[in-house]
Amino acid sequence: MDGPGVGWYLIVAAILFGTGALGVMLRRSPLIVLLSLEIMLNAANLTLIAFARQHGDLAGQIFALAVMAVAAAEVAIGLGLIVAMARRRLVLDVDQASALRG
Amino acid sequence: MTVGGAWICLLSPLAGALAITLAGQRISRRTAGWISTLTTFLAFGGALVAFFGLWAADPSDREHVSTAYTWLAAGDFEVGFQIQLDTLSSTMMLIVSGVGGLIVWYSMGYMAGDDEERRYFAYMSLFVFSMLMLVEAGNFLLLLVGWGLVGLASYLLIGFWHHRPEAVAAAKKAFVMNAIGDATFALACVLLIWETGTLEFTGVFEDVGSLSSTTVNLVALGLLGGAIAKSAQVPLHTWLPDAMEGPTPVSALIHAATMVTAGVYLLVRASPIFEAAVEVQHLAAILGAVTLLVAGVVALVQWDIKRVIAYSTMSQIGYMFVAAGIGAYGYAIFHLMTHAFFKALLFMSAGLVIHHLGGEQDIRRMGGLKDVMPRTHIAFLVGALSLVGIPIFAGFWSKDGIVSSALAQGGGLGWTLFVTCLSGAFLTGAYTFRMYFTVFRGEPSDLAREHAHAGHGEGPLSMLVPVGILTVLATIGGLVVIPGVWEPFIHWIDETAESLVAPTVAQDYGTSAIAVTLGLVGAGLAHRAFRERRQLVSQSGLWRVLEHKFYFDELYDALFYRPAVSLSQALRRNVEEPVIERSLDEIGSGTIQVGGEVARVQSGLLRTYALAIAFAVCVLVVVFVAVR
Repeated sequence: MDGPGVGWYLIVAAILFGTGALGVMLRRSPLIVLLSLEIMLNAANLTLIAFARQHGDLAGQIFALAVMAVAAAEVAIGLGLIVAMARRRLVLDVDQASALRG
Repeated sequence: MTVGGAWICLLSPLAGALAITLAGQRISRRTAGWISTLTTFLAFGGALVAFFGLWAADPSDREHVSTAYTWLAAGDFEVGFQIQLDTLSSTMMLIVSGVGGLIVWYSMGYMAGDDEERRYFAYMSLFVFSMLMLVEAGNFLLLLVGWGLVGLASYLLIGFWHHRPEAVAAAKKAFVMNAIGDATFALACVLLIWETGTLEFTGVFEDVGSLSSTTVNLVALGLLGGAIAKSAQVPLHTWLPDAMEGPTPVSALIHAATMVTAGVYLLVRASPIFEAAVEVQHLAAILGAVTLLVAGVVALVQWDIKRVIAYSTMSQIGYMFVAAGIGAYGYAIFHLMTHAFFKALLFMSAGLVIHHLGGEQDIRRMGGLKDVMPRTHIAFLVGALSLVGIPIFAGFWSKDGIVSSALAQGGGLGWTLFVTCLSGAFLTGAYTFRMYFTVFRGEPSDLAREHAHAGHGEGPLSMLVPVGILTVLATIGGLVVIPGVWEPFIHWIDETAESLVAPTVAQDYGTSAIAVTLGLVGAGLAHRAFRERRQLVSQSGLWRVLEHKFYFDELYDALFYRPAVSLSQALRRNVEEPVIERSLDEIGSGTIQVGGEVARVQSGLLRTYALAIAFAVCVLVVVFVAVR
């Protein structure tokens, strides 16, 4: 089994996760926030698959599939929310949607 | 058949009470009265069947225990819904349902026109049922159930005229005083369960011999506590005079003929326990003796006709306690029976007077009623003669039997009781005839004149007939015991509760001579005082003490009521308000405050949440790494 060691994969995953996290924290457009979330999820998937390969165990890969399903559902709901916001002509800005302030 | 009669006797008043309650306004008031009367007489029929069934049976076969079903079960301990039919309970059933039926019938006339007649008759039927439950119960728990139910019915009936504050207060007082007795009774039952594992009469009485003397004494004391509360004996007697706030037939039924004698019944029913605790049994006799004196003296100064009779009831029950306390069970029950006759008669003829005078109860405003109400006069006179114990009349045979039993008991206790009972006979003559002369003799009072022309008779037939029947009973009802000639009643009761003392014939007639003389002297004094228009008690100091009934009410007020009230007030001021109420307030306002602070964290900004999560994850990672 040749190719880069598991460390490389983890580094890539960490970079992806950091990118996503920064995107969630810094960007104001809900679409971009959603996109960044996807990146974070896929970083997690990458680590799962990398470890699965290292251990020769399929459980990690199957788990990644489950994460993808959840991510798809989450995107469906998130996009639905964004569409609803657009329909009601609300400003597409996560900072403006703060009606839940205590 | 015999036992079936007992069941009918028990259940028919209950059916009557339920029918009246459930029918509500669909039946007329009169119908309610008839339902109550007829079911009570049906109970009397059942009692007759049971009685004659026992009478015909062989003496060895006169105790039946009939269990309908197991009422309560807890582990090995079981209590059945059971009745015990023996010579004692069958006699009590006859008295309760017979006299009760007459009084309910009388009520139809007395209560006619009252707003809430249906409620009244439902209560009356409930009372008769409870009392029959009490006397027929086959174990102590059912006895206690009946005991509590008669207390409830008594409470409801004393407070029947609930728009009168005095009636409500009297009802509460009766309930509280009785609750003390109920509590000691219940404790005695618990102790019996603990020690013998059963509450059935037969089982308990078999086991009495094997119990320690402390246990027996405690049980007997508990039962005695119940008995003195229910029978209004010193020191738990203060409720009875106040209970006269109820309608007069109620006073006749509950506070003269039946309920207040429940204590005597208990003493006789539980005689094996009391015989094993002789000191407690003698205590009952001593309390009875004290009561008969106290009540007799207080009765000398009362002005309310019903209160005079109420005090005389306490005094007569004192006699029964003396009898039961020295083991003269036959005479205790015999006096209970004759007392039911003549005291119900006195109350009912007093009721006729009150009814006639439009509700007046003060004997100072009565007088000269002899010519206005001749039939009532005869009935009252018969009741009075019977109460004083003049020969031939019922009270003579029973009361003198008690006094001579005290003589037969002998010893210091016997002689003390003997002398007390004789003084009681003197007092009885005095207060009874003081009342009789003031009400019926002399010049008619203004009130009597006013009502004499009103034109109505002495009362409706439904009132006069029961009074007539009771007049006959109060005259000849005592002839079932003539010392030395025949004493079937005493032997009948002896089969269930064997008497411990038996006066000789000489003692009997000697005592009678003294007692009758003393009674007549008392009556003569009352007559002289009446003729000379002065009071029997002339010293003003003594008068005041008696008028305040020896200050028992004031004493209890100072001992229990006021300390309890001031304790409650102190608790309210120092605990309730500063600790409990304020802490609740603090919890509320504190929560609001904390909530306000916490709400700031919830900014509504998605990115701060994300930042917080990221920060928290970083902290967790650092912690994990550090801990490793």
